Order: sequence, then C-alpha cells, then structure tokens
Amino acid sequence: MAIGAEASSSKPKPKSNFRTVDRERTFKHPVESGHHAPILTEFVKPHIESFNSLFDDSGLPHGDSDGSGLLALGIRDIGERVVFDNDSRPGSSTADRGLGNRMRIWVDSATISRPMVPEKDKKCVERRVFPAEARERLTSYRGRMVIKIKRTDALGAIHEYTKDCGLVPVMVRSVRCNIQSASPAELVRRKEEPEEFGGYFIINGNERLIRYLILPRRNHVISLIRNSFAARGPSYTPYAVQIRGVRPDQTSCTNNMHYLSNGSAMFRFSWRKQEYVIPVMLIFKALVGASDREIFEGVVMEDYENTFLTDRVELLLRGFKMFGLQTGEQCLAYLGEKFRIVTGQPEDMSNVEVGTWLINKVVLVHLQSPREKFRMLLFMLRKLYSLVSSSCCADNPDSPQHQEVLLPGTLYAMILKEKMEEILNNIRSTIAAEVRTGAVVDFQDNKWFTKVLSRVSFDIGAKMSNFLATGNLVSPTGLDLQQASGFTIVAEKLNWLRYISHFRCIHRGAFFAELKTTTVRKLLPESWGFMCPVHTPDGSPCGLLNHLSRSCRIVTAPLSVKHIPVLLGSHGMTQAFAPSVDGRANLCVQLDGQVIGWARPHVAQQLATNLRIWKTEGLHAIPMDLEIGLVPESKGGQYPGLYLFASRSRMMRPVKYLANGRDDQVGSFEQVYMDIACTPAEIEVGVASHVEHNPTNFLSILANLTPFSDFNQSPRNIYQCQMGKQTMGTPSTAIRHRTDNKLYYLQTGQSPIVRPELHNTYAMDSFPNGTNAVVAVISYTGYDMEDAMILNKSAHERGFGYGTVYKSQIVDLKDVRGATKSSAVPTVHFGIGRDVRMEGEKAHTCGDFLEKDGLPMVGMRVSSGDPIAAYIDEVSGRTRFVKYKGDEGAYIDSVRLLGSDAGDTELQKLHITLRITRSPVIGDKFSSRHGQKGVCSQKWPAVDMPFSESGIQPDVIINPHAFPSRMTIGMLVESMAGKSGAMHGLAQDATPFRFTEEDTAIDYFGQQLLAAGYNYYGNEPMYSGITGEEFAADIYLGVVYYQRLRHMVLDKFQVRTTGPVDPLTRQPVKGRKRAGGIRFGEMERDALIAHGTSFLLQDRLMNCSDYSTAWVCRTCGSMISLGYDDVSLGEAVGPGEVNPVGPGGEYCRVCRAASQERAEAERDAARRNQPPPGKPIPDIQMAVAKDHLLSRGQKGGGDLDVIAVPYVFRYLCTELAAMGIAISVQVQ
Amino acid sequence: MDGGNSNQQGMHTTPFTAPPRQEMEYICADCGVKNEIKAREPIRCRECGHRIMYKKRTTRMVQFEAR
Repeated sequence: MAIGAEASSSKPKPKSNFRTVDRERTFKHPVESGHHAPILTEFVKPHIESFNSLFDDSGLPHGDSDGSGLLALGIRDIGERVVFDNDSRPGSSTADRGLGNRMRIWVDSATISRPMVPEKDKKCVERRVFPAEARERLTSYRGRMVIKIKRTDALGAIHEYTKDCGLVPVMVRSVRCNIQSASPAELVRRKEEPEEFGGYFIINGNERLIRYLILPRRNHVISLIRNSFAARGPSYTPYAVQIRGVRPDQTSCTNNMHYLSNGSAMFRFSWRKQEYVIPVMLIFKALVGASDREIFEGVVMEDYENTFLTDRVELLLRGFKMFGLQTGEQCLAYLGEKFRIVTGQPEDMSNVEVGTWLINKVVLVHLQSPREKFRMLLFMLRKLYSLVSSSCCADNPDSPQHQEVLLPGTLYAMILKEKMEEILNNIRSTIAAEVRTGAVVDFQDNKWFTKVLSRVSFDIGAKMSNFLATGNLVSPTGLDLQQASGFTIVAEKLNWLRYISHFRCIHRGAFFAELKTTTVRKLLPESWGFMCPVHTPDGSPCGLLNHLSRSCRIVTAPLSVKHIPVLLGSHGMTQAFAPSVDGRANLCVQLDGQVIGWARPHVAQQLATNLRIWKTEGLHAIPMDLEIGLVPESKGGQYPGLYLFASRSRMMRPVKYLANGRDDQVGSFEQVYMDIACTPAEIEVGVASHVEHNPTNFLSILANLTPFSDFNQSPRNIYQCQMGKQTMGTPSTAIRHRTDNKLYYLQTGQSPIVRPELHNTYAMDSFPNGTNAVVAVISYTGYDMEDAMILNKSAHERGFGYGTVYKSQIVDLKDVRGATKSSAVPTVHFGIGRDVRMEGEKAHTCGDFLEKDGLPMVGMRVSSGDPIAAYIDEVSGRTRFVKYKGDEGAYIDSVRLLGSDAGDTELQKLHITLRITRSPVIGDKFSSRHGQKGVCSQKWPAVDMPFSESGIQPDVIINPHAFPSRMTIGMLVESMAGKSGAMHGLAQDATPFRFTEEDTAIDYFGQQLLAAGYNYYGNEPMYSGITGEEFAADIYLGVVYYQRLRHMVLDKFQVRTTGPVDPLTRQPVKGRKRAGGIRFGEMERDALIAHGTSFLLQDRLMNCSDYSTAWVCRTCGSMISLGYDDVSLGEAVGPGEVNPVGPGGEYCRVCRAASQERAEAERDAARRNQPPPGKPIPDIQMAVAKDHLLSRGQKGGGDLDVIAVPYVFRYLCTELAAMGIAISVQVQ
Repeated sequence: MDGGNSNQQGMHTTPFTAPPRQEMEYICADCGVKNEIKAREPIRCRECGHRIMYKKRTTRMVQFEAR
C-alpha cells in the first residue's frame, strides 16, 4: 500500500477549504472505529510490528517460518546447557568417564503478559493498566515475563520449573499493550491522543523509544578496501570481504574474509567480543570435507586461463598442506580442540562435535546446511579474488545500498535472548561451583534444584528497564553491534513536529560520531527516497542523524520465498548444484545470501524482469517486498550478480512500475540500477522503468510541511526542519494527562492559510504550530535591523504568540531527608503538624499556599521560595516544607496524588503541574517557516505602526535585508498566497513542485490578489503611522505563518554585579543557574589590550574578579611567609637580639628563620674562621613597581609591604610552594 | 501496614503526636468519584480501586492583579 494520499493533479486546485467543521466534529466526537488520519498509524509501523514479531501471536504473516516469534526462535537457538555431578558410582550416565550423572537444562518457553494490576490488589475493578496511568504515576508500562525452564534428572526424566522474570517494558500499542487496537474514541477515554500511535516505551513516566540504527545489509557480501586491515598482522592486505549473517531470531554474526599477500585467505569472526582468525581452507574442509579438487573447481569455475585465480587457489591449497589435515572430520576435530575451552561446551562432547557446533554458531549463520555455507564461502572467496585483481571495485559501506535498519523489536529480542542465555549459564555455573566445592548435589532432588534456581537472578525486567532508561547495552557478546550505548532516546513532546520526527529518525551509529573523516556524513544519491536530504540537523550530528523519507517503509514481516529457487530454475537458471558452471559467463543468483543458482547475464536480466512483473501483478506468489537487485556486468564496477532479498529490516519505498502501470516497491539495493523518473513528464521512453508516485516523496514529513520549499535556497529548508522542531506549538491534545518535565503550549495556535497538501494528510491542524501574521517587509523604525522584528503591540495584546510552559515538580518523600529507607512503613508523611500554627494572629504564611493535607491549593500563584508542599517527619515531629524554586511566578495547575502499584500504601509521592505564563516579550525568538528567524526587538504601539490603504496594520515588521542573501523566495510566495487566501477564504496549496516555468506561482497568486483588489505583486502603498505620510515605495505586505520558538529571554538572560565566587580562586563562578558571570576570556583580553584601555582591563580582570591584597616580604619576596607576633604582648625578645616586626606585629617567617640561622651560622663560622654561607636564590622572580604598593612596611619594621594581586596568584604561589618552587616578588 | 501499626511505632520512638485526623476530598483520576481520604490512608479509589487522585481546585478566592 502506498503511503498517503497521492497527488490528484499537478495543478493547484482553485477551491480548497480549512475543514474547520470536520475537525471540530472529530474532536468532539472521536470515531468508535477506524482512524481520523490512518497515515499516523502507518509511519510508526516498523516500531510496533518489529516489537510484535517477538511473539508467536504477532499478527504478522508467517512467511516461510512456522510463525514462531523472535522469543521462541531465540530460545531454540540458545540450546541447552549440560552439567555433571562427578558422581563416580557406577550406574550414572557418564560414570565411565568420571563425570557422573548428566543433566541437561534448557529454556522451554517465555511469555510476556500485558500490563496488569498486581494480584495483591483485590479491590481494583479495572485489572488492566493503561499507558496513561504509567505516565501519570511516573512508573513504567510493563508486563510480567515468565519463563519455563526444563531439565533432565539422572534418569533422563524431564522436570519443569516456571520462573518469574519480573516486569519487562512493553511497547505502547503493540500486541502486548492494552490499547493495541483501540479506536480514537476509546483512546480518548483512556486519556490518550485520539490518534495515539504508540511505538514507544514508558519508563518512569517518560516516553522513550529505541532509535533506528543503520547496520550493514544482512546476508550480502560486501568487498572492502581498508588500510587498517593491513595492520592486522604480517602478510595481511587491505583487501577483505564481509558478510553479516542473520539468524532466524534476527541475531547476527559478522564474518570477514581477509586476503593475505601470499594469495590465501583468512576467515575472521568474533566470539564474545574476542576476535579469532582461521585459515579459510580449514573451514572449507570442515564444512563438507571438500577435496582439494572440489575447492579448486569451486573457486576457479572453469576459468582455467585465469592464471591470477589459479595461482592463488594453488597457493591456498598448498599452504594448507602444512596443517596435515586431510579429511573434514580431522578439520572439525582440530577446530573443536582449539575452541573447546573458549566455547565452554560440555566435557563429554567430542572434538568433532565441538567443531561442528562452532561452525554452526559462527560461520555464515544465515545458512542452515554446510553445503550451502560452502557454496557461499566459495562465492566470497571468488569475490575477494576479484576485488584483489581489480576486476570489481570495493563496495561503499556508507551507501544505503549496503545498509539496513536495526529495528527496535529486533534489538529488544536480541537482548532478551541474551539475558535468558545468561540465566542458563548462571544456573550451570552455580551447579558446577557446587560440584567443585563438594556440596551436596543430587540431580534427583527437585528441592535442591529449586534452591539452585533461587540463587540465580531471574530479574530480566529490571535489566530491560535499565536498558531502555539509559540506552546502555550491558552485554557479554556485544550483539554484533558497534556501539554499547545511545540506543534509546526520550520522545520529547516539545511540539508535535518534534515528537513525530523521533519516530522517523535513523542514526548512523555512535561510532561514526567520533570519526574525524566526514565521508560517512555525505549525502549520497543512493539515499534518494529513503533518507530525507533536507531533514538532518546541522552541527555535530549532521549527516549522521537522518530522517526517513515520507514514503520510506521498513519491511517487518517475513516473506515466503521458498518457492523462488524452483521457479527461477524453471525459467532458465542453472541450479546451484550443477557440476560445472563457467564462472566467466555466468552470474551468481542469490536469495538472502544463499547461492540458489547461476545464470548467463541476459538470462539474469530476463529473470529480474520476470520477477518484477510477477511481483507487481501478484503472480507466482512473489511477495511485493522482494528486492530484485540485478547488478549488471561492468568493467571494474560492482561485483555482478542477481541478488534477491526477502529478509526483514530493509528499506523499501513505493513507486510506479511503468511496464504495467502497477505499484512497485523498490529497495535501496536495487534502486541504484534503476531509472526512476520524478514526474510523469520526465519519463524517457526506453530508459525509465519506474516513476515516482509523487515528486515530494523523497522528503521527510517535516520537510514536506515547508510551504513552497522548492522556491527556497536549500539550507533554509534545513533550518526550517530544525526550527519547526523548536517551536512552541501544541504538543498534545491531552495536556491534562501529561506529566512531561516541560511542555510548551501556544495558546493561540492557528491553522496555516498556506499549507502543503500533506498538512491535511497528517492531520497537522490538530496540533497548530504557529499563527498567521500580517507581515510587512519594510525598514521602519530601525528596530528591525539584523533580523530583529517588530511586533505590533495590539497584536500582542490580542494574544499573538501567547504561550504557556507547563513544568512538573515531583515531591517524593522517599528521597527527602529523614525518610527511612529500610522500613516498609514510611516515617515521613504529607501534612502540616501541630508545630505550625495555621490560625490566629501569628499564623504561618504557608497557610496562603498549603492546605491541612500539606498539599498546595490548586489554582494558587506561587513565586520563588513559596512552600509548595509540607511534610511531617515522624521522628522529629517537625513540619518541613518543599519550596518552589523557579524564578518566575507560576500557578499550581494540578496536583496528583500518586499511589503505589497495588494501591496499598499511603501518600508518598506527589506530582505538581506548574503553569508558567509566557507572553511574548522583547528578546523572544520567532520564525517563519522558511528558516527566517528573528528576535522581537520592540512591541510597537499600534497607533505608530504603518497602515495600508485598506487600514491594515502589520502584526510583524521585518527588514527587507532578510531576503537578498538568503533567497527564501518561498517566504515571499507564501506572503502573497497567504494574503490572497485570507481575502478569498482559501486554504492555499503550497505543495512543492506544483508550479512550472510556464505556470508560475507569482502569476497564480498575483491573479488572485488582483481579483481581491490588490496589487498583482503583493505590494501596497502604505502610510507612516507617525507622520501619516505615504511612503515613497510600495510595501510588500502579506500573510505569513509565524512560529514562536521556544528560546525565550526569560530562560536565557544572565546578569551579575556581585554574586557567588569560587571558593578556591575567589573568581566569580560560571553558569546562569548559579547567578554566575560571563567569562571575560583571552580573546576579549586581547581586544582590550589592542585598544589600550588598560583601566578597563584592570577593572575586568582584577577589580571585578578576584581582587585581593597580600603581604609580601621586601627582603625575600615571599608572599606566603606572613607571620604575626602579638603586639599587645609587647615586642618579642629573643635571646640577645630584637626581631624586626611591623606595626601590626607582622613579620616574614622565612626571613626571621633565615636571619636566625645565619646569625647562628655566622657565629659558627666565626668560631671556625670560615666565610659565612650565601643567601638562597628563589626559583621565580618578578618585580612589582613601587607605585603599586598599597602600604609600605615601616623601615626597620617587619620588612613587609602590602600589594594588590589577583587571588589566584596567591593560590598559585602556594601550589608552587607545595611543589618546592619558590616565587619571589621583588618590591622596589 | 495499617494505621494502628504506624501509631504504635510513633508511640515507641518519639513523643510524636499525630495531627488531628482530617479528611480531604480528592477526585479519582479514573472514574471521577469524590473520595474522602484521611491522612495516612492508602491512595486508592473506593469505587474503582484506581491509584491516582487529583486534588480539587481550591474553594478559597483566588485573585490576581490583572496586568
């Protein structure tokens, strides 16, 4: 099914409407079945369906499988664990080997239930838990996971144990959600949006989702040339091929084949984050016991003249002789012996069995039989040799051609599987440890086994919650992914556009964010139609964080393609098992990374065409989502072949197939070799095979919403995609039931007069994002320079851009001081105790805000420092208050009393919604939808605003200089279209690519303006509001949809005269929150130096910063040796001499000690007739001029002067002193 | 878990006197029924067992300067 309504005609429709009445009706009476905007459930489908695929009852088609969910498939893949009790008595199963009885343990099944009220609560009427409750109660939306563990006892009988794995988060609107198939009416009853589409998890009241991540395309061999490969070891070269094989349970294993300079190849895989390399010959032999001849023929494929190939195969075969392994059995045994310890297989398994197990686990895991793996490995080797001989080029791993998507459900299933595996491993190691320590181990005793189980942690729920809450992957294997964190994001409901963008965003991977090279960020032509070229942030994530194009789908359902090999065989494909195929003349035919046959190029071409016709017409049961990638032969291009893909996680998009006029789905691999015309007019006969359904399909939803985006310079459209997401708009229609940290709400949102068609398709009118404003492009007061805009004060008073911020404050008595963590009964309670007088003359002021229950009054205004809740500490008997900390006045909008899961505990947690009014003020940011942002610089009185001949005053004045360099012609067109739309009552269609050179937008809207009695070009004579004179020039006046951005001065202004200082340096602290200053850095310092404004410099860097005075010794220059004698006690008198002391009793400790020492030394020297010792020289010396002295020590006094120094300098002196470096300040 | 238990504990530990038991009316978030919940009673709707309550808007006159 094609996404969305398709263009009905290429001409703009003259008649349109705003559908206000319809919208009102659906808002008042949401439908009981179906959807208002079905497309909204469509675009999150990959999220939900991938989560559904975890379960057997996913509702997805079964494809070729038996319909088992990923959980069941994963459990099957985990297999069993084996332990022995070392019971040496005869009669036990493996006693002969000294291992004793054998026990197998495995996970039989796992179930996840819908979120329910716990059994403990008997009184609850509604047993189901709905997402809104999780949001409002700030808990997680999760269902109970239960696994069944089975084991055998010594006699082989099977015992079953059911274990509770805790509560795991459940995706909203998935098959395990309680509102999975709810209608809009039902959703509204459940406190959701009428078009709630789900796709996210609720963790601690936050909506979090697993972001799409780009992965290498599964089951497809790509060739790579990377210099880093050569650094892997001696004889390694930059050449390699790589395949990411995916098991049926969607877990993957990447295999590399490296080319060595001696012509052979090495096979590389990783096991538990550790990399291993094996000669590829060993695997060839181990797989099918292939003879040397079989391998030679398989690689060379009758191309005996190709000495490049034959030489290398010969070397490959000869090189392997040194291993001395002839048969497959020997090779398996060799592998098994080497990997026995690493893989931790049971002791009673033979080496051959371990080898077989290893090959199953890590070599080309997408294929089942060894023969298929062997064929594929041969293909990989051929491709590798072809790469080395430059007969094919390296594939670009950054191109969407070789990429697919990591779906949320897939990742979820992978983690669940690994956690279950971990449980099994833990059980095994617990038992093994018991056996080792000689504890009583009795395999026949069920009680003993239950005890073992109780010692193993089964809490998968907490681990999954932690994963979703943090996005950090805790995994012993790494899950074949390149990153371990950043998988989940919060779906911020800042406004509707931002919210829906989260569900379409796709990340390249955290690994690439640190990469110095920018090649990964490049916009490639291959991504046309799959990833939006416009909708990517600028700055650090540019090009790494992309958004899916509007029509891009991700395949989530398994397809049934089992019959395709036979079908192709009957149409001329040579079967894969054919004994002799000429490799020069045949292309490999692969289906999901399995070699299914060979075909000559023209046959392959024919097969591809046949398949496409069959799939578009529904013949031969070829699924629509089959990707038919025919890579034609070329000289040094991509390695040719016919590659069919039917797996999940691929990006597909709908286009029209010209040969039969049917809908077709095109994937990112095949698109590269296709000619898809953008519009029917562009179809070139004989060249184009497909045509786009709609020329705007390559844009994301957001990029599609920019009106007349085809008239704008492209970066402006990128900016609009950013600013659309920062707009104060309508985040939700169920704001009453939201508990988000911060919500921005525009009170006076309007439906835009000028809107693209998709605005209606995506029901954007339910979530207005701005206001239609009369905009004059004129330089009027001078307050509109540098992108500032002037707001009409009357427009402001009428509510233009009036916004509200809803903030949450949570009071949890669990976290307050005095709360007892250990006891089940809380010792802190909400309420006002007897120690606070509520009545009478000296009543406590908290009575103005709080009621006797300790909760704030709803509707009350609070300002900074006012009490917002009160609680009594049972231990101290005192009442304490929680205060409102914000800077601005706020109104208590609602107070929620949050109970516990089972509803059996007293009030301990409170959620208070605060409403902060944010009427536009000077300094607030606004923007049109064309990347034209500006800051409000004045609210100009209406009487002084210019007016037109019809008496219209602009709401907004912007400067004409905003246009020439930015070339946002779209905004000019929007202005005209808005003006005529307002006059004629039309909702103007602003879909891009609707107008042509012949049929111009200017003419279309110019004619409409003429018909309304205006100037054709949208200019109007205007009169100065101050003088009443007509302006010399006509003014461009029209209606433009303006967005108010969330960046407001109230959140940003930072001023400081005096304030907090850093305790260590005594310099002002930084940060707006802490009332800090703004750094006067070295570049600013340079400017002042250059200007010669030394007083200013002194003022900034010293007087306004860390001015301090310090004593400095004139003799030794030390600043850290101040000592005091208590003058009041009279001068200290030493034995036979007088110590010099200042008027305050200050003296230099160093000099006094030195002089005493010297005196002693002199006495000593005099006694021995030696010269006196020299003076010590300090390490660093600096001079201070005389006029900088603040006070001078008296001559003959303490020898200390006072100077002004920055406090940090004193700190530096002490730090250096601690390192044994003395600083001497020389005072002249 | 009930009121008696906590009283007992209060008596043992400190000379703490519980404030007068007072009832406040709250509105159930699910069924909208008015619930009288005393201090230290569990947060649960008497009618439907729901676990969230809204505080009612204050009856006190709330007046702000209209500027």
